[in-house]
Amino acid sequence: MTGPRQIPIPFEHRPALQRDDYLVTPANAEAVAWIDRWPDWPGPLLAVWGPEGCGKSHLAQVFLARTDGRLLTMPDADVVEAGGAYVLEDLDRIPSLDEEALFHLFNALKSAEGRILVTARTAPARWSIALADLTSRLKGSPAVEITAPDDALLAALLVKHFSDRQLRVDAEVVAYMVPRMNRTFQAAADLVAAIDAEALARKRAVTVPLVRKVLEAE
Amino acid sequence: MTEQQSRDIEPCQDLQETWSEICESLRAEIGEASYQSWIKPMRLIGQNGSAVRTGVPTRFMREWIQAHYQDRLSELLDGRGLTGGLDVVIHQEHAASGRAETKPAEVRKEDAAPAGPVNGTGIGNGPHADDIGAPLDQRYTFDRFVVGKPNEFAYAAARRVAEAEVVPFNPLFLYGGVGLGKTHLMHAIAWHLRKTRPDRSVIYLSAEKFMYRFVRALREHNTVDFKEQFRSVDVLMVDDVQFISGKESTQEEFFHTFNALVDQGRQIVISADKSPNDLEGMEERLISRLNCGLVADIHATTYELRLGILQAKGEQMGVEVPLKVMEFLAHKITSNVRELEGALNRVVAHHQLVGRDITLETSQDVLHDLLKASERRVTIEEIQKRVSTHFNIRVSDMHSARRARSVARPRQVAMYLSKQLTSRSLPEIGRKFGGRDHTTVMHAVKKVEELRELDSSFNEDVELLRRMLEG
Repeated sequence: MTGPRQIPIPFEHRPALQRDDYLVTPANAEAVAWIDRWPDWPGPLLAVWGPEGCGKSHLAQVFLARTDGRLLTMPDADVVEAGGAYVLEDLDRIPSLDEEALFHLFNALKSAEGRILVTARTAPARWSIALADLTSRLKGSPAVEITAPDDALLAALLVKHFSDRQLRVDAEVVAYMVPRMNRTFQAAADLVAAIDAEALARKRAVTVPLVRKVLEAE
Repeated sequence: MTEQQSRDIEPCQDLQETWSEICESLRAEIGEASYQSWIKPMRLIGQNGSAVRTGVPTRFMREWIQAHYQDRLSELLDGRGLTGGLDVVIHQEHAASGRAETKPAEVRKEDAAPAGPVNGTGIGNGPHADDIGAPLDQRYTFDRFVVGKPNEFAYAAARRVAEAEVVPFNPLFLYGGVGLGKTHLMHAIAWHLRKTRPDRSVIYLSAEKFMYRFVRALREHNTVDFKEQFRSVDVLMVDDVQFISGKESTQEEFFHTFNALVDQGRQIVISADKSPNDLEGMEERLISRLNCGLVADIHATTYELRLGILQAKGEQMGVEVPLKVMEFLAHKITSNVRELEGALNRVVAHHQLVGRDITLETSQDVLHDLLKASERRVTIEEIQKRVSTHFNIRVSDMHSARRARSVARPRQVAMYLSKQLTSRSLPEIGRKFGGRDHTTVMHAVKKVEELRELDSSFNEDVELLRRMLEG
């Protein structure tokens, strides 16, 4: 091992969550277009789905900010106000989801002309829902996928993650990384975190040799 | 007469008394319901020249009064020496203060008639509007209901109820699977009545909401008002009655409401997902009541009906959807109308939002989560196998060092598809192809992209492989 190695203290960094910070690419363009189109949706519910770390939460935050909406943790029809906007995240991962509550929430939103954005890792058509009335409402609602990032998005994602961490990197570093990393949203986030930690530990700038080291270690 | 009027009237005592008398005599002529709906909300403002001026809260109400009661009111005024006729104006203040003074027991009458005979058809219709009924979906009219073999009987029954002067059958019980149009028919009845018989009060709500309101009334010791509200409507429509199965006290109350309305000759329309006899957790006596009228079922859709629905919906949206796409959707999305319309919505929205033409291929892409049985994760090994079979080479050639075009090109295609369909890194892909460098993979990807542009039959090959692999 060369040079002193410090234990990095993970600085809490707050990812930027404004619409301007949201990178619109072919992978998520349709989801963003739906958000921009709010409240002109065919029904009360829009589902956005995609793999972990693909930017669903970020998009949900953008939606909440734009609509002055409210984040729910559970389906609850009583909170619905006329024209209100709501978000329920990771709907396919809520343990023992109350299907009837979701059904009533859907109907309450329909009555009140409210809108809800739900996020999940899988498409609503794939959720194992027992209540047929709910299934047909979910399947009848628009569901849009955020797909795996293409090279351009991957590069943009890396730049965003670096800048979220206040790290300055040259274009050549990003160009070096894109063809060598796993092409997922999560991989981009994890890789930048690892590079940040390595740079901090070694007190060195983020350069191609440093990145290579991190990539090889993985 | 009412305290509301006596407080707000500026005109002299005589005129006020005369107006009250006239109202009372009209009350006797037209009956209580019409009186409550139209005459009672009129407010005497004073005299404008020789004409007697009155105010009402809405334009609609003014027109209705002018059409139906103005002549008679003028006659009555005339008989009392007020020969200048009657003037009806829209009086905003009236609307606001009248609403605020509404007593709970009068809620229904205030809401039901002037603002709109169908309760709560608009948001912001007033504090009570949404309390009683649920709002109606503007799209759910008879005009927009696509009729076919599976639903023609239910449709005819619903029309009959909407158009009949006397209750033709009680109740009308509509049942069928989810998303087949029960709610649409109920809303259509309400819209039709609203247009043709604005004097009748119509309440549409879900059984769940009925229960919720009942439970709340119990909690607030307010059941008298609750009963009064529900037992004085002309048409009561309760959607998805299966949601009160197993709820005994709600069923009991519903049973009594039901009987009270039937006794008074009022119309009831019920919907459920099953026939009365098949409803579980329902009391026998309620089931027998539900069976008393006409039971109409809506069957699952046929291909023809689905196609008809898509065509009608496409026209309503003002979008040109190719027949091939509609046939495809009608063939594939067979579960119910809600999902069918949802699928068309998605296809059209994709076209509008992303600007891609509506074709069979884009439709399949957009709806892949609905059309495919499962979301498969493709592996590099599968890609190698499928591509080898397609080009008729050995799988081992994917890893071999051979550089002949006959194996090199398929290998490049497989690398390209591995990059498109998996999330593996290029170095990883290279490793799976006989330990090749990631730059080789990059070159392969670029080469295949170029060839797809230039060679349409090669492009089709690659596209076919992609579709097969994505299953």
